[in-house]
Amino acid sequence: MRGYTAYWDALETPSRAPCRPSRHPGTRLILGVFIVPSLFVIRGNDQGTRFELEGDTIPLGRDSSNKVQIHDTEVSRQHAELQRTDQSYLLVDLNSSNGTFVNGQRIQRHHLTTGDQVQVGSTLMLYTGPPEETLEDLTGKVDITSRHPVEDSSRIVRSVTHQEGARLLGLRAEQSENSWLARARSNLEVLYRTALAVGQTLDIDQLLQRIMDHIFEWVEPDRGCIMLLDKEKRTLTPKVRRTTKGKRADEKITISKTIVDYVLEQNQGVITSDARKDQRWDPAASILQQGIREAICVPMQGRYETVGVIYIDTSTSPQQIIQQGGATKFSEDHLNLMMAIAHQAALAIEDTRYYSAMVQAERLAAIGQTMATVAHHIKNILQGIRGGSYLIEMGLAEHDEALVSKGWRIVDKNQSKITNLMMDMLTFSKEREPDLSPSDINRIVGDVVELMQSRAAECEVALHWHPGEPMPIFVFDPEGIHRAVLNVVTNAIDAAADSQESGSVTVRTEYAPDAGVLRVIVEDTGPGIPPEAMETLFSPFVSTKKSRGTGLGLPVSQKILHEHGGRILVESSPERGSRFTLELPAVLPSVTQQHPAPPA
Amino acid sequence: MEAPTLVSHERSVLIVDSSSESREVLATALERRGCRILTASRPDQGLELAQRHQPDVIVLDLEVSNQSPEELCSPFARPSDLPSPRLVVLGSVRNSADVSAAGEIVAKPYHYAPLIRKIEELLEAATSGQASPA
Repeated sequence: MRGYTAYWDALETPSRAPCRPSRHPGTRLILGVFIVPSLFVIRGNDQGTRFELEGDTIPLGRDSSNKVQIHDTEVSRQHAELQRTDQSYLLVDLNSSNGTFVNGQRIQRHHLTTGDQVQVGSTLMLYTGPPEETLEDLTGKVDITSRHPVEDSSRIVRSVTHQEGARLLGLRAEQSENSWLARARSNLEVLYRTALAVGQTLDIDQLLQRIMDHIFEWVEPDRGCIMLLDKEKRTLTPKVRRTTKGKRADEKITISKTIVDYVLEQNQGVITSDARKDQRWDPAASILQQGIREAICVPMQGRYETVGVIYIDTSTSPQQIIQQGGATKFSEDHLNLMMAIAHQAALAIEDTRYYSAMVQAERLAAIGQTMATVAHHIKNILQGIRGGSYLIEMGLAEHDEALVSKGWRIVDKNQSKITNLMMDMLTFSKEREPDLSPSDINRIVGDVVELMQSRAAECEVALHWHPGEPMPIFVFDPEGIHRAVLNVVTNAIDAAADSQESGSVTVRTEYAPDAGVLRVIVEDTGPGIPPEAMETLFSPFVSTKKSRGTGLGLPVSQKILHEHGGRILVESSPERGSRFTLELPAVLPSVTQQHPAPPA
Repeated sequence: MEAPTLVSHERSVLIVDSSSESREVLATALERRGCRILTASRPDQGLELAQRHQPDVIVLDLEVSNQSPEELCSPFARPSDLPSPRLVVLGSVRNSADVSAAGEIVAKPYHYAPLIRKIEELLEAATSGQASPA
C-alpha cells in the first residue's frame, strides 16, 4: 500500500489543504482504493463535492469556518462534528436544529463505517472510511452493497441505452466488422426465436441457466450473476450465479449498489473498471500488483418493464496485462451484446409462466376493483328503479295518475343513467379511433347545455352558456366531444349543487388560432377539489362512494380528448370552485370536407 | 331556540339520504300514510332537524357520509334528553353490534314495500306510548 499512496500523492496539486473539496470526483475514482476517509456529497447544493477528512476534529456546518462547509439553509451553522477514532470517525450532532441522520436514522453519536449515508438538512453524503475495515457478509454468495471500497473506485467507463444495444440486432452482417460479434449476433437471433418458441414451456430457473450458458459461451466472463427484481419489495434477488472453471468459485461476488441503482434508474447498461483509462503504466503502481477487475452490468428490460439485471465481471492479472499490452478485456462491443442478451432474456422471462402469473395477478386485482366500482353504480341505479316502480304501483292501485307519472320519471332517469354507464364503460375499454367529421362546436356544446338544463334546475344550479364567436367549423368527433363535455358538465353541476350558497356553472367555448386549439371551458362554484383527490381525478379505479355520476365520467372525457390529440386542464380552489378546460387541436376542414354533416 | 313541540298523535319521520330519488319516494309514500316528513341530504342538516323537531323515526342512509356507521349513527340515536327516536339504517354494516343497538339495519338495495312497513311498525311502537329502548 505504501507505494500506492506515494503514487497517488504525486498526482495531488501542491496547494492541497486538509479537507479541500474536490469537484472532480471522477479523477479520484480512477485511482483505486481510497486511503483518506471522505464524505462525498451525492445530493444537495454541493453535489459532486468530496470532502477529504484529515485531522482529529472536523467541524461540519453552514458557516464558512467549518472544514466541511455545507451550503444548505436547513443545516445549522455548527451542525455536527467528526471526531477521529482508531478505526474511523465518530459523527457527533451538535444540537443542530434539524438533526443529523445516518442511513435514515436520527443520531446523536455514530461510528461511521464505509457506505454510511449521512444526511444533514437536504444534503446527503456518502462516507468512505479507511480500507482496514472488515466487511459484513450480508447474503450468501452475492452481495449488492455500497460498502465495499473497491467498488466505490470503479468508474463507469461507458454506458449505453437499451435502444443502442437493441440496434445490434438490426445490424446487417456486412456492417459489423468484428467477426466475433457477427457470430454472436447470429446466435442471438437464434436465441430470440427459440426463446419465443420454448419460453412458455421452460420454467424460470431453466431459462436463466440457459441464458447464462450463452453469456459464458459468447462473452467469456469470469463470473456472472442474474438477479430478478421483486417489484413489491423492490429488492433484487440473485437467481443464478456462475463462475468460469479455473477461477475461485466460492469467492463472493460483490456488486456496487451505486452501479446497480444507476443501471435500474437510468435503464442503461454500464461497463465499470477499476483501472485507469490511461495506458501508461507506472511499474511501481499497485495496479500492476493487483490486476484489473472489469465488470458489465445491464438492465433486463422487457416489453412491460425492467425485470432485473445481469452482472458479469472479469479480472485480468498483471501478467496478462503485460502480455496483452495493457488492453482491457471488455469493450463496447461486449457491452452492446450484453444489452441485447439482457433484452431477449427479459422477453423470455416475461413469457414464462412464473412471470405471466405475476402479471395476471395484478390484472385480476385491477379488474376486481373495476367490478366493485361498477357494481356500486349499478346498485344505486337499481335502487332508483325500485323507487320509481314502487310509486307507479301505488299510483296504479290508487288510480292516481300524478303518482304514476312521478314514478315513471324516476324510472326513466335511471334508464339514462344505465345508458351513460354502459357508454362510458365501452368508451373507456376500447381502443377507439375518433369518428372525425366537420362539426360546429357551439352546436355540440349548446346541445349538452340544453340536455343539462333540467338537471341543473333540479339541483338549483344556474347554468350559463357563452358560445365563443366567431367560431369556424372544425374537424373532430362530434359524438365523442359531446360525451366528453357532457361528463364534465354533469360533474360541474353536482359540484355546484354541493356548495353552501346557490351554485352556478358557466360553459363557454373559445378558438385560439395562435395556439391552434379549440377550448371548451366549464367552471363551477362548487367546493373545489382537494389536493389529494387531484391525483386520482382521472383515474377510473378509485372508489367513488359518494359519487352520483358513473364514476367513469372524467377518465372517459380525458380518453376522448387524448384520442383527439388534446387534453383536459384542471384548476381548482376552495374559494372559487373548479375550472375544467377541454382543449383539442383546431383542425380546419380540407376542401373536400367543407360542409358539416346535417344535424342528426 | 325553543323547540316547537308536536301534537302528540302526529307521527313524524326524518329522512337523511343523499339521493333525491330515495327521499322523494319515501316522502311520497309516508305522507300518504299521514306522516309528517322532514328531509335532509347531509348528516349535519339531519342532526339539526332531529334536535329541533324530535322525529319519531329517523331513516338514515349510511352513504351520506364517509364516517364509520357507528360514528354516523350515535348522535342520531340520542340527540337530546327526550325519548330516543327509532333508527332505520340503510346500508351494510360489518360489525353490527353497536349499530343494531341503536336501530334496525336494512341492506341495500332494498325493496320499498317492506321498508315502508318496517317504518310504520316503528311509528306504531313510538307513538303508542311504549317506552323507548335504552
